[in-house]
Amino acid sequence: MRAYFSVFRMRLRMELQYRGAMIGGIACQMFFGIVLVALYRALYASKPQALPIESVTTYVWFQQSCFRMLISTDPDLMDKIRSGNISYDMCRPVNMYWFYYARIMAQKLMGSMMRGIPMLVMAFLLPRGWGVQFPDSPAGLILGLAALMMGLLCMCAIENITMGFTMRTLDPRGMQGLLSLLMITFSGNLLPLTLFPDSWQRVITVLPYAQLLDAPIRLYTGAYQPAEAARIILIQTIWTVVLILVGMWMWRANRKRMIVQGG
Amino acid sequence: MSYIEVNGLKKTFTVRKKREKGKLFRDRQTVEALKGISFSVEKGELVGYIGPNGAGKSTTVKILSGILTPDGGEATVGGRIPWRERTEYVRHIGVVFGQRSQLWWDVPIIDSFSLLKDIYRLSETDYRQRLGELKEALQLEEFMRTPLRLLSLGQRMRAELCGSLLHRPELLFLDEPTIGLDAVSKLALRDFLNWENRENGTTIMLTTHDMEDIAALCQRVMVLGHGQKLFDGRLPDLLEKFDTVRTANVRYEALPPELHLPEGADFTRKDNELNLTYSPSKLPTAALLSELQKAGTIREMTLQPENIDHLIAAMYKEMDL
Repeated sequence: MRAYFSVFRMRLRMELQYRGAMIGGIACQMFFGIVLVALYRALYASKPQALPIESVTTYVWFQQSCFRMLISTDPDLMDKIRSGNISYDMCRPVNMYWFYYARIMAQKLMGSMMRGIPMLVMAFLLPRGWGVQFPDSPAGLILGLAALMMGLLCMCAIENITMGFTMRTLDPRGMQGLLSLLMITFSGNLLPLTLFPDSWQRVITVLPYAQLLDAPIRLYTGAYQPAEAARIILIQTIWTVVLILVGMWMWRANRKRMIVQGG
Repeated sequence: MSYIEVNGLKKTFTVRKKREKGKLFRDRQTVEALKGISFSVEKGELVGYIGPNGAGKSTTVKILSGILTPDGGEATVGGRIPWRERTEYVRHIGVVFGQRSQLWWDVPIIDSFSLLKDIYRLSETDYRQRLGELKEALQLEEFMRTPLRLLSLGQRMRAELCGSLLHRPELLFLDEPTIGLDAVSKLALRDFLNWENRENGTTIMLTTHDMEDIAALCQRVMVLGHGQKLFDGRLPDLLEKFDTVRTANVRYEALPPELHLPEGADFTRKDNELNLTYSPSKLPTAALLSELQKAGTIREMTLQPENIDHLIAAMYKEMDL
């Protein structure tokens, strides 16, 4: 365990060094957030929807502040796989899957906290109907946070599957492009999942992507009642376990057929 | 049983060729990187592993360090099969890939070391003692807190070596460790490797293209070509086998205008100085010497084997590599 914890801590510290990227990220995500909120307000002004505008703007801000958790790949890991420096990691007495899982988690967690926390603070200060609303209930806040942590575990499992694909294709871009498209659409980053037609929602909300951010946000805003939390966390757990197993299987299969090219 | 036992080790890679016109799929071609290699190494040996690019040196190292799974043959190191018991096995070995890096680019090297400490589950006292020892031997003190990206290549290689040896491996693989280093750094690195081998009894397997590395370090050398082992023995024996040409420089007090030297020696003359090349196999050095003495009083003389790199090139050529 010590090795995994240590690599986690190291990656956290490394992420802290990239403060320039953090400021850039915040500016970019704030901009997107404001544009989206303005867009929804314009939509609501002409035709009010069943969902209150405060919930939609809260949804948008959470999505924007956790953007880094959804879509970000550790460039160092990609580089290791492409350049063959992964050789060194393969000569370590650790389980490769978990070793990389810990790194990915550190990068996603620190990356999104550094950007997300200042952003949420700013969004709280925005006028009502523009910013983040208070949680529906204290239970909603706590359960939402718990679900967010589960979502993070699930996201890291998805990311590690992308790594597994990269080890096969060496160029991550194709697979990443496809996976991020699915991610952006079905996680609710593009359009809040609550605004999808009901028939679609029945399918979308059980996909793993909906467990990452959509479910935690809905617990927070009260769209899901605290009583539903057990069901949500169960779905999250099932997906996390399944995706971890798939990832581990891929890594194991990769090990057997792996070739380290060049000298 | 020896420490490292390798028996008939095979590895093939599949390479896809460029698609030919009119064909739907690319043809595949298999490349035999290793065609059944066998050798054994005793504990505490320092073995050089040479051969031209693409001979299979790195493949052997990658198999023996548990990274690749071979297609055939057996190998055990200290009784363990590298690719089968990888996690347990790699605890006992260290690897340095001269062209890759194991340390973190953006953080001070000391932090990379402390991560390695946790990876290998070293105790605090053990770690401190070993780090102190290596720090001194490799002169790392002045840049322990510098991020890797700011170090020179020589400093970086020293840091890499330290990282690979922190857990006191029984066996160290070095894959071209002196590549790109300047003369001073090379010498320091060789001294260090000799020290590590002597003081800690670490078995070292070294692949290199630098014959000076081999000459300075290895009691034993293996030559690999086209995936096969071509020679296994002492370096002097190898050199003797392919030692075709030697050069000598002789300065006389005075030389007669006419000079005859036996068959097998070529010379150019400049005043009282001779520059000679000869092959010891055709003309024994002793015979040449007595001939040279007949020509006049020798004031000064140097005799040297031809540049070792030329010898190896000649050897590769002769072995058709």
